[in-house]
Amino acid sequence: MPLKLTRAVFASLTVLFLIAPLIAILPLAFTSSVILTYPIPSWSLRWFEELFTADAWRRAIVNSLIIGGGTTAVATALGTAASLGLRNHLLFFRGSFRTLFLLPMVVPAVVLGVGLQVLLARLGLANSYAGVIIAHTVVAVPFVVVSVTGALSGIDKRVELAAQSLGAAPATVFRRVTLPLAMPGVLSGAVLAFATSLDEVVLTLFVAGPNQRTLARQMFSSIRENISPAIAAAAFLFIAATVAIGLVVVLSRSMMAKRR
Amino acid sequence: MAEFIRFDQITKFYGALCVVENLTLGIEKGEFVSLLGPSGSGKTTLLMMLAGFEAPTSGEIVVNGLAINGVPTHKRDMGVVFQSYALFPHMSVGENIAFPLQMRGTARAEIEQRVARALDMVQLSALRDRWPSQLSGGQQQRVALARALVFEPRVVLMDEPLGALDKQLREQMQLDIRDLHRRLGLTIVFVTHDQSEALTMSDRVAVFNKGKIEQIGTPRQVYDQPATRFVAEFIGETNLVEGVVERVSGGEALVKLPSGATLCAVADSAVAGQTVHLSIRPERIDLSDSRRPGGNSLETEVTDSVYQGDHLRVQLKNPAHPLIAKLGRRSQEYPPGTKIYASFAADDCRVIAP
Amino acid sequence: MTRLRSRTARSLLLLAPLFVFLVWFFVWPLVGMMSQSVSDSAVLNLLPRSAGILTNWDRRSAPSAEMQQALIADLRAVQDTQALGDMVRRLNSARSGFRTLMTRTVSAVSDPAGPPADLVSIDKRWEKPEFWIAIADALSPYTDRNLLAAIDFGRNAEGAIEKLPPDQSVNLVIMARTFWIAALVTVACAAIGFPYALIAASATGWKRDLLLGAVLLPLWTSLLVRTAAWFILLQEKGLINDLLLALHVTSAPLALIFNRTGVIIAMTHVLLPFMVLPVYSVLITIPKNLMPAAASLGAPPWRAFVRVLLPLSLRGIASGSLLVFISAIGYYITPALIGGPGDQMISSIIAFYATGTANWGMAGALGVVLLVATLLLYSVYARISSEEPGRA
Repeated sequence: MPLKLTRAVFASLTVLFLIAPLIAILPLAFTSSVILTYPIPSWSLRWFEELFTADAWRRAIVNSLIIGGGTTAVATALGTAASLGLRNHLLFFRGSFRTLFLLPMVVPAVVLGVGLQVLLARLGLANSYAGVIIAHTVVAVPFVVVSVTGALSGIDKRVELAAQSLGAAPATVFRRVTLPLAMPGVLSGAVLAFATSLDEVVLTLFVAGPNQRTLARQMFSSIRENISPAIAAAAFLFIAATVAIGLVVVLSRSMMAKRR
Repeated sequence: MAEFIRFDQITKFYGALCVVENLTLGIEKGEFVSLLGPSGSGKTTLLMMLAGFEAPTSGEIVVNGLAINGVPTHKRDMGVVFQSYALFPHMSVGENIAFPLQMRGTARAEIEQRVARALDMVQLSALRDRWPSQLSGGQQQRVALARALVFEPRVVLMDEPLGALDKQLREQMQLDIRDLHRRLGLTIVFVTHDQSEALTMSDRVAVFNKGKIEQIGTPRQVYDQPATRFVAEFIGETNLVEGVVERVSGGEALVKLPSGATLCAVADSAVAGQTVHLSIRPERIDLSDSRRPGGNSLETEVTDSVYQGDHLRVQLKNPAHPLIAKLGRRSQEYPPGTKIYASFAADDCRVIAP
Repeated sequence: MTRLRSRTARSLLLLAPLFVFLVWFFVWPLVGMMSQSVSDSAVLNLLPRSAGILTNWDRRSAPSAEMQQALIADLRAVQDTQALGDMVRRLNSARSGFRTLMTRTVSAVSDPAGPPADLVSIDKRWEKPEFWIAIADALSPYTDRNLLAAIDFGRNAEGAIEKLPPDQSVNLVIMARTFWIAALVTVACAAIGFPYALIAASATGWKRDLLLGAVLLPLWTSLLVRTAAWFILLQEKGLINDLLLALHVTSAPLALIFNRTGVIIAMTHVLLPFMVLPVYSVLITIPKNLMPAAASLGAPPWRAFVRVLLPLSLRGIASGSLLVFISAIGYYITPALIGGPGDQMISSIIAFYATGTANWGMAGALGVVLLVATLLLYSVYARISSEEPGRA
């Protein structure tokens, strides 16, 4: 059937378009050459070595972990608390609160970056870890809110009522019932917050000083200025981390699904 | 007997909407009381107020002589069974049942024992370590029941607990719950919209309509002696016939129908000259070729008859009113057009408050 | 009722930290950026005395001795050389010649031997009202200069709004380019994404998982990794050119990077998931029996598609397109790394003004334009995606 064939060809080509770039970059992480092209003359781990020993890259990795960790902690705490507050359907301006919390996802990063650069300088937070963590938290928090609100809305209100009727005080209901049930959402929100921070470039360009250079920022300038296979090695780490994070999320989802 | 639970002039508003209106109801210890009514009649709201999930706008709820209006849910000591079971999805069956005991600081060894006993009571001992999602609806319901009973609450509240089960399972569970009630001497308040369920299980049935109790009584009372038109129509099927009271004497009224026929009916309160409705249950009507002496008989004509397995359902046309009669399966067939008399005892014909 | 009130209080208490945080670090910076685009205090801050006197001046008569003395006093009081530079730059942009005039004047008035008696003795130009008019105009704390310049307009000497000369008007070109690139990317995403979503929605089992996984994996992958990957594929000695040469499709490598082609390809790749997912989520809600029903009513497959499936999936296409377009107009990284100088979009220009020349006013003004465009489109998107299905 020609239609069926057309569909198969179209779908395959699109899958190729989507996936091929990600696959193409991986082998170059193991090249021994100094230029980022195929064919690969011989295999080597020198670029991973470079990544973990060269000062600029090593510091970038450490900075990414510090800033990513800080962002995850702040964004998860703020986002989870706010999602719990949003559960109250009787709240005035509930919709407006929600819109405000999600809006950082929409506003162009460059626009926010310009504004934050000036503000943070005025607050004395320019070129500081705190400043970068604040900037990253602003864009990471919507992911936490979406994820936790989703998990909370999946909780049957009557389960909490049942816990009350069985003798659990409100704090106990929260600790023993609400929080455990929302946990998968909180976890995947935290993972998304970390991923957002890890991948953030534009705000970092504006608010970070040379001492807060993150891995993504370092990749950006190295693509721009002196591209080398170190990029491919960094990309390999990113993709490996993505797959790992994806597995965590899938596992937590299936855990949630199993209980439902 | 002293009232164990008392709702005293309870009113509940949601915004401007009045869902329970100045309601007073007493329940005795060890009693099984059903709150029966259509959805939106206020029965669930009353239960929620008893459980402490909602607060009455005015009025007082008294349990065992103490007003509990200000007592938070977790200190009310009432087991609640929800329609959707509301099992904790992140705890195993055993953990679910242990939860109320843990909340009360029961010793670990005793928790073990009592959970085992509760599981045994609902015949689910084998499923102790399963997740709720791995159970069937009926099994989940039993777990919810065990969880609500294991801490020996003062009262067990059930909110349409069998609504999600299929018919056969529902009937089995009705008998099981009735059995538990008798065996453990529980006080149970049971909300349902299913009249046969209420009649099957309860010591007393309170029929709700628009935030008020229309009638409260034993299943036999509410079925045989409906106090209002709503109760007569909501519980079972009935024939309603309009007429004017001619005279009243000794609890009996003579009612004249528009067709000119007169019927003798039981009347608690009726005044001569009043227009009233008469309720006649279809299964109390007999058909015969001649007028029956010493009772009520109406001249009618058969319009249709349908065989329904356990009974024969006959539609009758009378000069004033259509009637329906349900006859036992031994009765003969009645082809349409047959002229026949519909007869029923004066006791089975009741004057209903308008 | 008290229980209700305490519940509200608790909810508000939970919301408060994030609310305060976002007002402080999200709303305030945006407001600050907007006010920056209309604020014009570089001159006012340094010349408070002159400001007091110039308000009474009629803008025509020769500058009075009072005005000159006030300006001398103001200039003598200036300590901050950076602020002085800002002021001179601001005045020079209003009237050329201020740079030399001010340099000469400032060094004269700060003569330790004591300032000259008046300004005219320093430079004859201080006699002319034009220079004083420029100062007077620059004394207002607010200006529409930046916002007008953002769309290539300005005020002439008389204060009327007019189009800037072509050598100064690049912003409209860049905005047009931004919207054009975003539109091309949106069309490309719709052209690939809609049929792809159709196929994915009709597939079952592992095929559907594969098709959806192929969309989700890039979405989960770092934007930089994807951009780096396209860099590798598109470069002159990249895989695509290698392939084309090996197949003898071309005889010389094609220019695929640092130009429009590369930007469109890379942005389409990055944004395609935002098209496929909304369309797919609408398509799977369409009952499977509608197309057979249309066929049983006599519609040939293509008419059934046009009359049934297409109208029902329009909502998904619309929200996907808006999502892609909104994201595309704010793009910075991909054009910066894959594009050439002729492919830079509004974000790049904003970044240039902000980090390159520290012209916060212009950066703010262009930021306002981009922000307003984004929020308008987003409100349309929010309306479409919250509508009940079937009302599309």
